[in-house]
Amino acid sequence: MASANATTIIGRDTRVRARVTGASDVEVQGHLEGELTVGGEVRVTETATIAADIRARRIVVRGAVRGDLNADEAILLEDGAKVVGDVRAPRVAIAPGGLVKGYVETGHAGEGKRASHSTATRAAPAPVRHAPPAKAHAPAKAHANAKAHANAKAHTNAKPKGRGMTLAGGKAPPPVVPVLKKGTKAALTKRR
Amino acid sequence: MASTVIGANITIEGEVIADEDVVVQGTVRGKLSAKDGVTVESGAVVEADVSGGPMTLAGQVTGNVTSTDRVELQSGARVVGNVKAARITIADGAHFKGNVDMDV
Repeated sequence: MASANATTIIGRDTRVRARVTGASDVEVQGHLEGELTVGGEVRVTETATIAADIRARRIVVRGAVRGDLNADEAILLEDGAKVVGDVRAPRVAIAPGGLVKGYVETGHAGEGKRASHSTATRAAPAPVRHAPPAKAHAPAKAHANAKAHANAKAHTNAKPKGRGMTLAGGKAPPPVVPVLKKGTKAALTKRR
Repeated sequence: MASTVIGANITIEGEVIADEDVVVQGTVRGKLSAKDGVTVESGAVVEADVSGGPMTLAGQVTGNVTSTDRVELQSGARVVGNVKAARITIADGAHFKGNVDMDV
C-alpha cells in the first residue's frame, strides 16, 4: 500500500464508469469508461479495457483503448496495444505488435521539417542521374539542368501560354458567357 | 495488498465497481462498490454511497455505508450517513452523524 502512494491503480477486477481527473500517475489494469485527464503518466496494462478519451503528460499503452489519446510529452503504444481513436502527442512511438486504427499526429515542428526535406529531395535527385558517385558535380549539373529546365519551361510555358490564351480566348469565353447572356436574356424575354 | 488505489491527487466522478480491495486516498464522488475491503485513508474525501466487505474509514465520508462484514471508524474520520454492517466500531475521536443498523 505504501509503495502505491503516488500512483492511482484501477485494479484488473475493477470497473470504473466515471470522469477521472487529477495530477498524479494512473495505472489502469481493469475497465474504465468515461474520461481520464491527469497531469502525470497514464499506463494502460495488458488486462485493461478502456472506453474513454485520455489526456495526460505521457501515455504508455499495452492494452485496449477505444477513445482519443492526447499527451503533452509522448505516447508509447507497445506490444499488445490496441487503440481505436486518434493519437496526438509531440512524440508518438508505435512498437511492433501495437495496433492503431485512427488518425495519428506528432508535433508540428517535425511536420514542417519533413515538408522542407521532401521538397529538397524532390528538387535534387530528379535532374541528377549519377547521384551517388559524383556528388560534387551534382549541384552544378543540378543547377545547369534546373536552369535549362527553367528556360525550357519558360519557353514552353511562354509558347503555350500565348496559344493557350488565344485558344482559350477563342474557345472558352464565347460559348460560356454569351450563351449565358443569350440564354438569360432569351429566358427573360420569353418569360416577359 | 490493495488492487485498486485512488491516489491522493485524483478525483473520480462516477461509479467504481471492484471485485477486489479498494483504497481511497483521493476523492470519489458518485458510487463506490467493492466485493472486498474498502479503506478510506486520512485525507481522502468520499461523497458516495459505499458498499463492500470490511471497511476502514479514516477520512471524510458523506453517504450511506453498507458492509457485509465490519465497519471501523478510526480516529479522525468524519462520516455523515447511515451505516449498515454486521459489526461496527467507532474509535474515540471519530466524527459520526447518521443511523447505525446492525443485526441485533
